[in-house]
Amino acid sequence: MASDTTGAASFAADLKLQFAPFSSALEAGFWHQLTQKKLDDYRLDESPKCIKGYYYNGDPVGLPTRLTLEFSAFDVDGPTPARCCPAVGTLYNTNTLDAFKTTDKKALLEKEAKEIWDAIQSGAALKDPSILCRFILLTFADLKKYHFYYWFCFPALCFPEGIKIVQQPSVLEQVFSAKQIAALQEAYDGLCMKRGTSAVPYFLMKYTDKAVQMAPLGDWDTFFTDTKKVTVGVYDPCTLSQHPGWPLRNLLVLLANRWGSKLDTVEVLCFRDRTLQGSRSIQHSVILQVRLPELSNDSACPKSVGWEKNPKGAMGPRMVNLSECMDPKRLAESSVDLNLKLMRWRLVPSLDLDKVVNTKCLLLGAGTLGCNVARTLMGWGVRHITFVDNAKISYSNPVRQPLYEFEDCLGGGKSKAMAAVDRLTKIFPGVNSEGYNMSIPMPGHPVNFSQATLSQAQRDVEQLEKLISEHDVVFLLMDTRESRWLPTVIAASKRKLVVNAALGFDTFVVMRHGLKKPPVGQNSSVGAADSSPSCSSASSSSSTPAGSAPSLPGSSLFSNIPGHKLGCYFCNDVVAPGDSTRDRTLDQQCTVSRPGLAMIAGALAVEMMVSILQHSEGGYAVASSSDDRMNEPPTSLGLVPHQIRGFLSRFDNVLPASLAFDKCTACSPIVLDHYEREGFSFLSKVFNSSHSFLEDLTGLTLLHQETQAAELSKLYNPEKSIQNYSYGLKTALSSPGN
Amino acid sequence: MSLCVLEEETFRHCCRLILQQSEQLRDGWSWESVQGSQEGYLRKTALRSAVINSSPVGDQVESSSESGPQTSCQSWPDLQQHKKEQSVLVASAGADSIQGDIDDEDDDADEGVCTVSEGSSQVLQYEYHILYSCSYSTPVLYFRAFTLEGRSLSLQEVWSSVHSNFSFRLQNSPLNTITQQEHPLLGQPFFMLHPCRTEEFMRPVLQVAQDHNRPVNYVLTWLSVVGPMVGLDVPLMYTTSHY
Repeated sequence: MASDTTGAASFAADLKLQFAPFSSALEAGFWHQLTQKKLDDYRLDESPKCIKGYYYNGDPVGLPTRLTLEFSAFDVDGPTPARCCPAVGTLYNTNTLDAFKTTDKKALLEKEAKEIWDAIQSGAALKDPSILCRFILLTFADLKKYHFYYWFCFPALCFPEGIKIVQQPSVLEQVFSAKQIAALQEAYDGLCMKRGTSAVPYFLMKYTDKAVQMAPLGDWDTFFTDTKKVTVGVYDPCTLSQHPGWPLRNLLVLLANRWGSKLDTVEVLCFRDRTLQGSRSIQHSVILQVRLPELSNDSACPKSVGWEKNPKGAMGPRMVNLSECMDPKRLAESSVDLNLKLMRWRLVPSLDLDKVVNTKCLLLGAGTLGCNVARTLMGWGVRHITFVDNAKISYSNPVRQPLYEFEDCLGGGKSKAMAAVDRLTKIFPGVNSEGYNMSIPMPGHPVNFSQATLSQAQRDVEQLEKLISEHDVVFLLMDTRESRWLPTVIAASKRKLVVNAALGFDTFVVMRHGLKKPPVGQNSSVGAADSSPSCSSASSSSSTPAGSAPSLPGSSLFSNIPGHKLGCYFCNDVVAPGDSTRDRTLDQQCTVSRPGLAMIAGALAVEMMVSILQHSEGGYAVASSSDDRMNEPPTSLGLVPHQIRGFLSRFDNVLPASLAFDKCTACSPIVLDHYEREGFSFLSKVFNSSHSFLEDLTGLTLLHQETQAAELSKLYNPEKSIQNYSYGLKTALSSPGN
Repeated sequence: MSLCVLEEETFRHCCRLILQQSEQLRDGWSWESVQGSQEGYLRKTALRSAVINSSPVGDQVESSSESGPQTSCQSWPDLQQHKKEQSVLVASAGADSIQGDIDDEDDDADEGVCTVSEGSSQVLQYEYHILYSCSYSTPVLYFRAFTLEGRSLSLQEVWSSVHSNFSFRLQNSPLNTITQQEHPLLGQPFFMLHPCRTEEFMRPVLQVAQDHNRPVNYVLTWLSVVGPMVGLDVPLMYTTSHY
């Protein structure tokens, strides 16, 4: 260096020794442990607590100089990680944010600095130099929000004039021979061994060309017989080649205090000891020649510094938000999602989970089917689940309806819709669930007894319309056929996907309703697009879809039906829905079914929805049939059937598909057209009239007359739905094996 | 079948061997026992500088610790700027409103401190635990990564910190998948590499070893396969030195 030739005094001013401050490093476990301590142990106790951190001199270049606190920080007598130096600190955990703010930080620092200064003066620090490397941690734990405020302080005593070095710091391997370095390493390991530790924070050192000797700091007087050349070692956590780390600072104060009057300079070895890929090196340690100021016992306690800057580089505390890893609700959410992703990573890579999770589901009916559908939706991570039901929980319900308990039946019973929401939120707080305790107006159940009943019905219709608009998928899970009529009409009109589940004693049907094509660009006749399902049979208006088969070749009538041509729940019926509970005995009014049936059907309804959502065309997907079971599936999850009809007695399911019926009492163009044009006035006519109203409107009456004429010889009960008849028909068509 | 079953006793024995070697290689593994029980786990922590990226997975990591040549003690120039901004985002606004009652002049007067750019957000701490799974009779790797503030990373952030070669493989590999689970001994949330297919990839290795009558440390062999996927290096010296 050029400055070597100039006077020492002139360049020494430029060579002030600067130290790399500690960066606080907290392990996640520390905050967990602090939380536990605060809850179980400290509670409102604000008194200072002793804690322990550590620092390490083996970091690769580029990492900040750290003081680390882990979960074991509260166990002061516990072990320190191998080859790390412990640092003892004082924890001030305040009860309020205000106390955290108003704590006198300067006083805390000065108190700590005074203790260090006293220990230096008394000689206690020589015996136990760990007091030179202490810290303060001020915290406030907001355990409602899982926000942790904290501020570290690493107290350091300062020389008024700073510290000067006689020359640029040198790397050990430039000063020491390979032999000396090996001897140094050996001497350090020997010292550790002797002291029974794996790291020594401060030590004394003497060396020749061949040998290196070391001794603990307290052995100064016996170790150094003369003070011509004194070398002191410090375990140095810094990785910068021109700067030592913080632990040297207070050591220099100690040296200046004890020997400043005798020593002009002191040589400092900043000992760094790293192992990469199993090979150890210390040659990157740094050697400093420090000009030692005098600092006698008469001096007042030196000025102190040490509060850590925040990430912005300003004097201020830090805050860390740990709600994601500590808030049980957040943990539940991420665990549920990750569990589902496991399915994607492992088995179905192309599964689009977002589509499922973000689907808003409206459950009409919160009974056996509704409860099971809701639970399966939760399993799929669906967040938005809305219940509509007007019933109260009765004593017979909890054993079959898994969202309710005995307690829910007491005092007349809670509202099912509301109780279901409560239970869902208990099961998974991340769910966004709402309940509506309301009735769904039904055909053949008059609403015109009074103005009050009429306007109530109107409000119910409006509410239902609003709910259907706000959701993506509507589940029909009620116990009567006629209560499904109104939501079928509204959902068909609004082009919402409908999944319908209905139970017999040991049979069930789960089906998706055909999704009509969007009405855009067809404003002149909304029904035009809707009539297309029957275009092939439009000319023979008097025949059912089944009857129109000849216009299509072979058995293809029920294969490859696109989603918009599929039928709805009412398409198979040749009678309009009416009051099905009238004139029936009690056992006919109740849904009596084998108990496992609702779970099977409820689960299938959700799985069908998920499969539909995975299809690129969604509700417009071509219906898969039983015949497709051997073919390449249309989605990553498999088939997308129109209907699943299950027969528990045979433990068998079939997958029929059927066309929309142009005289359907719910989804035919004429019904939708009337609904869309006349709204509630049309609906109230349906509610208040007998079923003949809808049958007249759709042309079913005419069909009946024709059929009766043709089948005079057959005994036929027109009051009965031909649903059972059509089960058999579809089964025969779809599964020839049966 | 019995070839791949790892008894708990063998697991402990394998761990002891690893600990001995780790001690020689200074690789940093330690055995953490659970108070009042025989149970315990191998633990190691590691630091790495990486860019945390919350954007969708597959984004790159900046560097591993060995490659960072930033030794200047001057405040690191502009290349650090965007990271600094990122670190501001990581640190919350909440604490900024709190006035430090430390006089700034006190601090400025401290000529003894060298200015180092605050790098807390780009240094990540990794914690690795090796536990024994009774249900699978295999070792299981638990891990978590957190900032210097102690904030655990989300899985998405972890992905972004795993080298893209691995994250691609990991996400597409049927053998290993990361899931979140409560640490069975600590009760804190950790990520884990699911062990359900461990036996599958261990079997051929163990078979070859058996055929050649070679001793094999199940845990070490397993670790050398799964470790690197989550940034955990297993030095070659483990296998070159004797068992």
